[in-house]
Parts: sequence; C-alpha cells; structure tokens
Amino acid sequence: MDELLRMEHISKRFGDFYANKKIDLTVKHGEVHTLLGENGAGKSTLMNILIGLYQPTEGKIFVNGKEEHIDSPAHAVKLGIGMVHQHFMLVEAMTVFENIILGDRNVSGLFIDRDARRREIEELSEKYGLDVELDKLITEISVGAQQRVEILKALYHGAELLVLDEPSAALTDIEVEGLFAIMRKLVSEGKSIIFISHKMREVLHISDRITVLRLGEVIGTVNCAETDGKALASMMIGRELSASQYEKMEAKGECVAELKNVDYNKNSKHNGLNGVSMKVHRGEIVGIAGVDGNGQTQLAQLITGVLAPQSGSVELKGKSVSVYDPSSFIKNGVSHVPEDRNLQGLVGDMSITDNLVLKATTAEKFSRGKGLLLKKRDMARYAGEMVGRYDIRCTSVEQTVRSLSGGNQQKVILAREMESEPDLLVAAHPTRGLDIGATRFVHDKMIEARDKGVGILLISADFDEILEVSDRILVFFEGRIMGEYSGKNPPVEEISLAMTGK
Amino acid sequence: MKKLTKSLGSFVVPVLSIVLALLIGAIIMAVLGANPLVAMQYLAKGAFGNAANIGTTLTKATPLIFCGLCACFAYKCGVFNLGGEGQFIIGSVACYYVAYCSGIGGVPGILLSLLAGAVAGGIWGLIPGVLKITRGQNEMIITIMFNYVATLFMGVVYTNWLRDESVPQTLPVPDSVQLPRVIDGMRFTWAFVIAIVVGIVLYYFLFWTSGGFKLRAVGYNMTASRFNGFPIKRYILTSFIISGAIAGLGGGAELLGTQFRLINGFGAGYGFDGVSMALIGQLHPIATMIVSIFFAALRAGSTTMQAATGVPTSVSDIIQALVIVFSVAGMALVKLPEFEAFRLRYFRKKEKKEATEQ
Amino acid sequence: MTWITSLLLATVRMAVPLLFIALAELYSERAGMVNIGLEGLAAIGSLVGFLVCYITGSTWLGILCGALVGVVVNMIYAYATISLCADHIVYGMAINIFAPALASFIYRVYFGTGSDLKQIELMAGIGIPGLKNIPFFGDLLFNQTPMVYIAFLLVIVTCIFFNKTRAGLNYKAVGEHPQAAATLGIPVVRIKYLSCVLCGALSGIGGAYLTTCYSNTYSQGNVAGRGFIALAAVIFGRWTGGGVLLACLFFGFCDALQIRLQVGSFGVPYQFFQMIPYVATIVVLSVIGAKKGGPQANGKPYRREQR
Repeated sequence: MDELLRMEHISKRFGDFYANKKIDLTVKHGEVHTLLGENGAGKSTLMNILIGLYQPTEGKIFVNGKEEHIDSPAHAVKLGIGMVHQHFMLVEAMTVFENIILGDRNVSGLFIDRDARRREIEELSEKYGLDVELDKLITEISVGAQQRVEILKALYHGAELLVLDEPSAALTDIEVEGLFAIMRKLVSEGKSIIFISHKMREVLHISDRITVLRLGEVIGTVNCAETDGKALASMMIGRELSASQYEKMEAKGECVAELKNVDYNKNSKHNGLNGVSMKVHRGEIVGIAGVDGNGQTQLAQLITGVLAPQSGSVELKGKSVSVYDPSSFIKNGVSHVPEDRNLQGLVGDMSITDNLVLKATTAEKFSRGKGLLLKKRDMARYAGEMVGRYDIRCTSVEQTVRSLSGGNQQKVILAREMESEPDLLVAAHPTRGLDIGATRFVHDKMIEARDKGVGILLISADFDEILEVSDRILVFFEGRIMGEYSGKNPPVEEISLAMTGK
Repeated sequence: MKKLTKSLGSFVVPVLSIVLALLIGAIIMAVLGANPLVAMQYLAKGAFGNAANIGTTLTKATPLIFCGLCACFAYKCGVFNLGGEGQFIIGSVACYYVAYCSGIGGVPGILLSLLAGAVAGGIWGLIPGVLKITRGQNEMIITIMFNYVATLFMGVVYTNWLRDESVPQTLPVPDSVQLPRVIDGMRFTWAFVIAIVVGIVLYYFLFWTSGGFKLRAVGYNMTASRFNGFPIKRYILTSFIISGAIAGLGGGAELLGTQFRLINGFGAGYGFDGVSMALIGQLHPIATMIVSIFFAALRAGSTTMQAATGVPTSVSDIIQALVIVFSVAGMALVKLPEFEAFRLRYFRKKEKKEATEQ
Repeated sequence: MTWITSLLLATVRMAVPLLFIALAELYSERAGMVNIGLEGLAAIGSLVGFLVCYITGSTWLGILCGALVGVVVNMIYAYATISLCADHIVYGMAINIFAPALASFIYRVYFGTGSDLKQIELMAGIGIPGLKNIPFFGDLLFNQTPMVYIAFLLVIVTCIFFNKTRAGLNYKAVGEHPQAAATLGIPVVRIKYLSCVLCGALSGIGGAYLTTCYSNTYSQGNVAGRGFIALAAVIFGRWTGGGVLLACLFFGFCDALQIRLQVGSFGVPYQFFQMIPYVATIVVLSVIGAKKGGPQANGKPYRREQR
C-alpha cells in the first residue's frame, strides 16, 4: 500500500492562537484513518486546510507523492479530495439531484443534461449502495439520507479520499451501522477515508489507523489492532478516563418545575414534544440524554417560556403558568443558558459589563429609580468581580463580547445566569465547543449551584457529559421520554439503546 | 489602548471620511476652475463669518438634527425607518392645521401646534410599525412608500384644500404662532433649541436608563433580547412611534420657525439627509447633532461660495454623499478581522518597543 | 383607441422600467446580495442616459452609458459589501444618497442653473412586421420601442438561466449557501461581483429608459420610488423571472391606471390618484406578509476564513 496523502508540519495560526501546530499525517490507499480528539483539538481546522478552505501558516501537502498548494476548494476537488462536513453543505431549497451536480466541472455545455447526469449518479449509487431519492428536496429527506447525498456528491465529483467529519453525531445507531457498511464498501473499492470522531467505540470498530490530536498537536499515530479504548483515551485527554468525579445526589427538595403532558408540534419527530411529563427538584441535576434533534431544543424553550405548549401545562414551584413569556419565567426564578450562545444568549456588540447586567438593569443595585438612571460605575465594579469569579479572560470589561473566545463567552452567560440566584437553571449544551479546562469549570459551577439548592436541567448531546454530572437521567427520542435512570451507576448500555428508540 | 480601539471606530473614521470628502470636493472645485483654497475660505465665511451667517447655519441645521435623531433612534432599536421625510411632512401638515385653523395664538398655540405635529408624525410611524410586527413586513419599503403618500397628501392640502388663491401654496401661519428668534440679529429660532433638547433627552434615555439599554439590546440582537425576557414587539413599536414623533415635531418646528407655509418641495430630501446624519454620527445622538451642524454649515456656506467663485452649491451635497460612502465603508473596514489582526500587530510592536525603552 | 387599450398600452410602458430594475435586484439577490441602492443606481443611470443622448443624439448610446455608469457606481457597493463585509442595507442606503446627489450635481454643472427645459428625442417604436397587425395584441406587444422587446426577452433568458443551465444552478447556490458552493469549487466571490455588475447595468438601463424612452426630459427625483417598488416586485414575484414579470405588470398597471384616472379627474384632487402605485405596494406587501422566501443567505456577509 502506498501513500495517497502526506501532510508535513502543518501549522495554522488564528491571531495568537495555534489551531494546528506542526502536524504530520499520512493516509494510505484503501484505509480508514481516524483523527481522534476532543472538541477544539484542531481536527476541523486541519481538514479545512486539506480541502483548501484555509491556507496553512506553514507546512507542505503531498498528494500521490506530488507537492500541492491547495489554494481553493476547487483545487481540492480536482485532486480527488472530498469532504462531508459535520454541518452538511447542502442547499436546502434545491433537490438531491441538483445538489449532487452543483459545481460540476467534469462536463461541459451550457445546459443541464438531466438524463445523462441521472444515469451517472444512479450508477454510482448502485455501486456503493448509497440509496437516495433524487427528486426530493433536501428538506424532505432524513438526516441519514442527507449524509448519503453528501457522500454521493463527493464521489460524483471524483473523490478518491473522503473526509467524514463527525458523521455519526446526528445519526441513530441503525443509521450508524448503515454508514459503516458504506464506509467498508468504499474502502474495499480502493477509496481512502479520513474519519473524524471522538466516539471511542466507533473509532475502534471501523478504523485501520488512528491519529490522536490534542490541543492542535499530534500525540501519536497507532494501528487500531494494537490499541484499546483506555490507551486512546489517555492519549486524547492526557489522563486516565475515570468514573464520574462528582458525588451523585438524591433529590428531596421542593419541585421547582414540572411539565404535565406537554405537546408541542407533536407529529414532528425532530422538532417537537409528544406527551412529555417530568419534574425537576431543588438540589438535583436532571440530565436529558439523546441524539441531537429529538425535541431537546423545544424542551429547553418550553421550560423557559420562549415557547408555549400546544396542550398540557408547565408548573413552576407548584403554580401553573398562565403567560408563556420569558420575562414571567425569569421573574419566577428561571435561568437559561441557551444552546446558541451568540444568537440567543449574548448581545455580541455590547460590552462584557452590559451582558453581565443584561437582565438586571432595573435592579436597585444597578440603577436609581427603577432604571431611570443607570449606575454605570457600580455596573463596571460588578463586572470586574464577575470576571474574577468566573475566570473570564479579557483585556477589559468594556470589550465587546463578540471579541471573546467561545469558552469565555459561555462563562459570561454562566455568570449572568448563576448570579441571578435562580430556582431553576436550564442549561442547553453548556460546554459545546469548549476545551477541557473550561468544560470542567462549567461542571464545577453547576455542581456548586446544585449543592446550594438550585434545580438544574441539563440538556446535552454529549453522553459522557450527561453521565458525568447528572443525578437523574431522562432519555429523549423523537419527542418522547424513553426512560428514566438514576445517575448513580447508570446502566450505560441500556441508556444508549434507549437513545436509539429501543 | 482600549480607549484608542474604541475611538478608532467611532471618531477617527468619520473625521477621516470628512477630510477625504473635502479633499475630493476641493479637486472638484479645481476642475470647475475655482481655486479650492479661496472657495473653501468663502465656504467657511458663509457658514461662520458673522453672527447672521451662524444664524443661517443653525437654522439649516434644525431640520437635519430632527431627521437625524429620528433615524438614529429607530436604528438603535434595529428598525430601519426610512420614513423620516413622510413623518416630517405629515407632522408639518398637522401642525399647520392646528396653527392656522384653531385660532389659538401665543405660546399655547405654538405648543399645541407642535404637539399636533409630533402626534401626527408618531401615527405616521406607527402604521409601518404595526405592519412590521403583525405582518412581519420589511419596514424599509413600506416607510418609503409612506413618504410618497405623505408628500402627495401635502400636495392635496396646498393645491386644493387650503390653497392660497392662484398660487399652489398655503397662506403663512399667523404671526402669533410663529416661533420667535432666540437672539436678535440671528435667524435661528427656538426650533433649534428644541432640537438640541430632544437630542440631549435621547442621549440620556439611550445611554443612561434601563429602557434605553434594553432598546439598544433589542436593536443589536432581537433573539437574545427575547430569550432574556424583553418585550421586543413593544420596543420596536415604541421606536417607530418615537422616531416618527421626533420627525413630526421637526416638521412642525420647521413650519413655525422657518417656512411658515406648506409649499412644493417642503421637507423634500430631509428623510435621507437624516439617515446620512445618523449613520455618519455612528447612531449617537450627540454626534448626530454635531454632524448635522457641520453639514448645515456646508450648505449655508456653499451659497456664499457660489456667489463669490461660481462653484455650484450642490458641491456640498456631493461632499455629504462622499462622507457617507467613505464612513460606512470605513466602519466595515475596522470591523474586519484582518484589519483587527493588522492593528494588533502594529500596536503590539509599538508597546513592546516602549517596554524595552523603559 | 379605446380607453382599455390605451390603459393596457400604458401598463406595458410603465412596467418596463420597473422590470429592468426588478430583474437587477433578482440577479443581485439570487447571489445573496440585497441591494436597496436601486433607486440611486437608476437615478444616475437616468441622468447619464439623458446627458449622453442630449450630446450625441443617440438613445442607444444613452442607454449603454446609463448601464455603464450603473455598473461603475454599483462597484462601490460591491467592494464595500463583498470585500469589506459592510452591511448590505446600510450600504445600499449610502448608494441611494450618493448616486442621486452625483446625478443632480452633474446636471447642474453641465446645464447651469438656467430654468429652460432641456429635451431630447425619444427612442422610436419599431413595429414587428406582421405581428403588429394582430388586432388588440399587435399594438400592445409588437408595436413598441425595442427596449420593451429587450425587457421581455430578458425575462425569458432569466427563466432559462436559472432553471435550465449549469451556470444558473451554481449562481443560485451562491445565494442559498455560499459555504457549500465554495466547497464545490464554485467561485463565490467572483459570482457575487458578477451579480453586482448585472445589477448595476440593469438598474442603469431601467433609469436610462425613463429619460430616453418614456419622458424626454430629466428632472430630479424622476425615478419616483421605482427602485423600492422593484424591491417589492421581487418579493411579490417570489424571486423568479416569471413572478417578477407579473409583479411588474401589476405595478405598471397601477401606474397606468393613476395616469388615466387623473385625466378623468372626477373632481378628486389628482394627488390621490398618484398615490395608487405606492398604496398598492403597501397593500401587496402587507397581504403576502412575512412568508419565508428568497435565497437563504440573502444579505449575509461571506467570509472565506470564518472563525
């Protein structure tokens, strides 16, 4: 087997920050080569360099032994490199067929020769077992099918090397099996695959070789057959993977929030809730486990008043809510760390100070006469305090929040939501995109709040995070609760099965 | 250092834009056969040369300030109200009706007329606001359409309903409701003082009260504001009404202070002028007022310049237009990550140098 | 000629400038560029078209130069929004302020402040032999100025381009999902610039039509909101060539109707009739409401190395 791809000493710097540092990577013909690493380890950056979206700060790339400067995605396509992005690059307003032939350079002519293109696509789809409906709009097909379209698209454009960026993140177990079957088929036909993941089980299952990245650097490359999960995990995070380090609690306190038979967009599998009843008590963390897009978004927004249930009711501290509006929920002691921090949580163009006091400008502490005159000095002093307490890294509290890194932005939200002394804290994907240190920090703060008697609803697609901090675990699938488990010694196998609807 | 960053965006860019635009203006003057330095001298003389000229400048600044504040307030809440002109005109029409027909004179008459103008302007702003929040419609197109409707409606009033016999214009408002001058010998009236007061009140509201704070938050990020419990629809509607009322008040003040009658071309162009003032003034009320006075000076001075050198007055419009083209592009430029990186590198070096020198 | 025929005839004539400007916006928005500076582009196109025609006596040269100046001015917008990532709306507004000021300045410098009316000869109509003799439709569709034929031809070309050609598909992808387009090697930035060239040229032509084919003089503000009505026409026409045509015919009809009604007068002040096109725009927009539509990445800045 000879080398298809060799990347030598690749570095990429954003401002002061090295996303990649002297990375070496080789991929052989007909192998599945896995890039393993935590969020923020630099996997996506490396791949964006490979497909010509980013230019490396330094380093060389060889394809089939020849040095190439991949200066544009078009060039990468020409070299036979195709990528399936984690967030699919599909045009929703177009059909599957149109998406596949988009940007086609292999054919000439002014008009689209539909019949000829169809034949070609169908041939490919048969050869690799990629079953798609060509005339459906992208919005009409499932996530799994969209992924097949992406793979087919890459093959149609002549990919010899396929990059799959976290392809299993949004899939159910059955769909993942299907994906693996396709991957095996592709490799047996001589294609090569770079598989990006942080799911150990899948990595061990499918890979030929594994390269582990941490904080932008290569920790090592190993043959899959010669390693195991434990060894990989310690390479990945730099320490042994241990059981949860937090003590799990049994909730005895008052019930701070209760959903009674709540329906919302009942018939939508991915964006609705169907007859959900659940409680959150003081002093416990309720973890919602499940694959992304099974109603978790709606749950978070219903329990914070952003959405109103279509039937059923929400009760806060035993009292039924009459007005579904975020402000009345906030008054009732509900805090919300929303899933999209830039869109929903922060006002990016305002300062750190402004974002920290966002909800409290009428409070005695920050203004005279219920908001008639802001006490700017007090606000700044308070912001300074928060920056210290929550370890927000910034040059000044007057800096806009937009200019902070993701982790520090999250800390700003966390500071605001925790300091309002809530009864209920709803945290949706609070550590998404954060590095290990920041994640640990967020978890510590949540446990601290729980011990003070706050009821916490934690929604996360990261199963390990759910296992780490939850006192009680609820599993969501297609808008329903599939089961409830204690956070003390949870039956991991059973829960992951429940997450797939079984 | 951090202050420098801030001022770079909000101060350096507009000033540089103005300098650049004046330079191009000078080139145009030269091309037209005038000595730019002489022309600029006359420009300055015409604007600030003596008390009377300053009075003219301030008179010309008044409607610009009102329309600038109207745009400024709406955009701060993320509402792209381009209807300043229509609100200005409807305000003046309502004001005219009360001033001319009610028969109330003196200060009560003036106050009542101005109030009528503000209310009418507010209502004229409210309609697109309601259409936006109930029908989700694009406020830009709607407010522009409302401008044309308002202009035509004013046309009905001065050519038909309240026409001054053979001339297509109305009679002047009675002397007793005309706004008096603040200082004898200078043309500007209390309308200018009202404009300044409105600007200061807006500044206080936007930057020193909780309501203004929230309004700005809504303007920057509506979704986050909703998630944080702000009643965004109420803020949007309020900003439509208030900005409309400011323009309407401006229309009334212009009528009672300067024009006295409704006539073809009344208020024309003030809407877009207001947008320019607000954008060049970085949506800051105080800056908007300063910018307005600057451009009013340019306009007032350009008449003297034309008389003395033959350079047409519309050079001042070109300069204004160039300033907006430059300043908006400049604002985008300083926000670019590449620019930020360049700036950081440059200043980092300088700081290091200073550190080693010490 | 009956009242109805002349009304419809006027409808076609009034629809054509709108059609050019609306197609300009269609090409712009299909590549994700929301350009509200149409009014300004048309204004400068209108003046340059008039001026060139006045000097050379050629309406065709006038229209060509109108298109050229539209492109040149729109390149300012293109550079600011594509390369500097300025806000599309704010910058479009800047163009709306800049271009008319430039236009009226050039007019004053060239003609001085004298008040005598400068006029040019309008483009002559050319009947299509044979077809123009069809009763009713002959006059309506086949006995017009060449610009009318060009406008309608352009609609057909636009429909074919977006629906049948490979280039059209790629072009649309830039407005829908530029990142996806970029990964497939579609030159996103180049297409965005191209869209601005098309938009500038077509709005310039739309403006020049007003002085060289419709009214034989130039007056300040002669675009009269058509740039904004064209924006509404694109929304109303759901971002398709055919839809835009229908929308423009509708607004053209409103305009024609108000002119006809003014002649009738009925004792009502004529300004009320003049309001019809503007009120119609408000009503139409309010009725179709906020139905989601249009290219998904419309108005969003595109940065290559985003992080």
